[in-house]
Amino acid sequence: MNIPKSSPVMYLVGRRRWWPVLGGHGDKLWHRVRYPFTRRTVLHVQGVYNPKTLAREKKILNKKPIWWALGLAALAVLPPLASVGLESNSLLSAAAIFALYAAINLVWMLIIGTAGIFSLATLAVVGSAAYTSAWLSVTYGLPWWGMIGVGGVTGLLAGVIIAIPATRLEGFYYALLTLGLVELCRVSVVQSKALGSATGGLYGADSYVPESFSEMGELLLGYYACLAVMLLALGLYRAVNGQRLGRLLRAAPEKQEAFAQAVGIDFLRARIEVFLISSTALGLIGGFYATHFKGASPSLFGMDNLLLLLAMIVIGGLGTAEGAVVGTLLVVGIDKLLVDLGPMRLVFIGLLMLATVLFTRNGLFGMKAQFEAWRDRIRSQARASRSEHGGEVMPEEAVDIHDKNIIAHRRFDKRTREALKLLITPEVIEEHRVCPRGQHSDALMRLLNYFRVASLVDKYALFAEEPFKRYRVIALSGVRGVPPRRVDDKTYSNLDTAYHAVFLKRCQDLVES
Amino acid sequence: MPDIDLSFVLLSALTLASIYGLLALGVSIIWSSLGMLNMAHGLTFTVAGYGAALAATMISDNGAVVLGAGMAAGMLSGLFICSVAFIPLHDKPNFVVRSLIATLALSLLGSQVLLWAFGPNARSLPPLFGSEPVVLLGMTLLPDKLGAIGVAAALMLATLWWMKHSRTGLEIRAMMQNPEGAALVGIGLRSTAMAVMAVTGALAGLAAVLLSQTYFVSPFSGTTPLVKGLIVALCGGLGSIPGALLAAALIGTLEALTGALLGGQYVLMTQFTFVIAVLIVRPRGIAGLLDHTRE
Repeated sequence: MNIPKSSPVMYLVGRRRWWPVLGGHGDKLWHRVRYPFTRRTVLHVQGVYNPKTLAREKKILNKKPIWWALGLAALAVLPPLASVGLESNSLLSAAAIFALYAAINLVWMLIIGTAGIFSLATLAVVGSAAYTSAWLSVTYGLPWWGMIGVGGVTGLLAGVIIAIPATRLEGFYYALLTLGLVELCRVSVVQSKALGSATGGLYGADSYVPESFSEMGELLLGYYACLAVMLLALGLYRAVNGQRLGRLLRAAPEKQEAFAQAVGIDFLRARIEVFLISSTALGLIGGFYATHFKGASPSLFGMDNLLLLLAMIVIGGLGTAEGAVVGTLLVVGIDKLLVDLGPMRLVFIGLLMLATVLFTRNGLFGMKAQFEAWRDRIRSQARASRSEHGGEVMPEEAVDIHDKNIIAHRRFDKRTREALKLLITPEVIEEHRVCPRGQHSDALMRLLNYFRVASLVDKYALFAEEPFKRYRVIALSGVRGVPPRRVDDKTYSNLDTAYHAVFLKRCQDLVES
Repeated sequence: MPDIDLSFVLLSALTLASIYGLLALGVSIIWSSLGMLNMAHGLTFTVAGYGAALAATMISDNGAVVLGAGMAAGMLSGLFICSVAFIPLHDKPNFVVRSLIATLALSLLGSQVLLWAFGPNARSLPPLFGSEPVVLLGMTLLPDKLGAIGVAAALMLATLWWMKHSRTGLEIRAMMQNPEGAALVGIGLRSTAMAVMAVTGALAGLAAVLLSQTYFVSPFSGTTPLVKGLIVALCGGLGSIPGALLAAALIGTLEALTGALLGGQYVLMTQFTFVIAVLIVRPRGIAGLLDHTRE
């Protein structure tokens, strides 16, 4: 006889996979791509076991290096191609400005994000370094590499100046002080004849671009130089934030240093170190700024420039390098590409900053954490309102439980209990009271069977204080080494009444579950 | 010792002290009662200046009308800032940094909108107190400085009297002392916040109109007064009214002396050095708040 064999219909359960799965069988499981001559892996890969396909797989735990590699490759290739293709010089110069501002923001993020100190002194340091090196170049003919070096030294000195109040002041006192410092720089530069108050800034400093380059060549070299500066700033961010100094700083945020101090972390020294490092870096960037733009102007110290930089890191999110870069990209993009709107584009940027701060907790790259916190809150609210299900597993939890037999058992248990609740009647209770041991009706037998095979955790038992004279109800803990707990203070002189008491307690627990 | 005109220096010192006192008072009260650092106070200053200028051209040249229009414009601006930067954020996490950035964004927005609406040219207000010098005790005093001192002092005293003797003032003082306690006692946070921002906005508007003889009204005229007001409030200690007034007097005197002895371009530098010295000696300002009420 030919019985047609039909395969059962299989439905997909759980989350769908969007990522290609790396094969992990055999040799390939333990193979990792490493940087040459080191043991450091390129990607953080973990081997997992897939119970459905019964195969080992490799899962990439942290995909951020892939995004960074793609983004930096795009930055290295797209703007030159686009500007050559579109025959527009302003695109490349705007891209160079983006890279320079991204470098400034990355170093600023070290102070605002990692150290948690709300400092607005970035532009003061960059501007003073730019002005010093530009003035030295204009007056004494300092070459471009000297300008960068002088910028670094100026940055270090400025860092000492801004680090000293940082040890005494905290929070907004320090923020306002740095704001006042920027304003002081602006006023002194605008009013000083030596620093070009008449011409609106210093011009004519040395540039690193050789004279023989064409205009397009000059722009290309300028863009790649700024991109190199941005990559160096990124490297500095990783070196500080990802290593020991960053850990020490993140352990001691602004108002919660007590724990770090108790553990023995010298957070004051760490803060001074990060101030000096970041100020030197900002000074170097300032020197490069002066040699890139061949001068410096007071607009560096202006309040709207400061607010623009603040908008960049706020929109990106405080605390991550990708926030600094993407925020800068967005704001510089809006600023340079929508030039036709005039001052309205600054209004647009201001609105974007306001919306970011009103609706998100920490900018663009804090939205994932915000969304997950919201989703967990909604889930727990729904779970709290759904108190009826009594142990049955919800679908979203089912995916996380690997042994599906547990889920089946809990569902079966729930249905058994629902059926047994209907069997508890006054007749059954009376029957048990009259005759606890012996032949029982069908309903009573089902109830007793269920109670007898229940787990030992919190199972009611009888304790013979005095055999045949006094009995007491206790509850077993089910855990080895933990003694049973006393349930109440009633004693029973008769074993039958004690059995009935235990039965009543178990029935009550069943009805309540 | 150069030949300085003592009466002029004294008058300048008092004028500057009273105007800085108005601004610093506003910033201090907002910080201690709401816990928000209002960086959009400069925007209030600018909007009040423009309100007064519009009233001067459209309604009347009278000093009282211009002053009243400036104060009303400042009050409206303060209410706007409250409803955008304080009310949506005050119960959300990370409130302090977010409200600071929101006020900064508002000041950026506001100055750009004013630039787009009114153009970059500076405007001047008509003289408020007449233009004839008054002779007092053998010294010639300019009427606008005298008027500025008088009106500022009178209105500051009126505000402090109101805060001491009225119901809303009592609520504001309760919130300054202990915000949770005030909420427990039944003081509405949002209505009190609106009252605080309206009053401080009016004070900033007054300062704008009084200072309009020196700082012409332009879209970015609010930046320097904002920074100076913040520095004075910082020096006096955020949250302390007598500290703010004392710091305003000291810094006003310092500015007048520096302007007379060294020249105008060193004013900001000397003020700054003074404030840094004060803050290094007393990190919470001259009379800062106790630690456990508001940091």
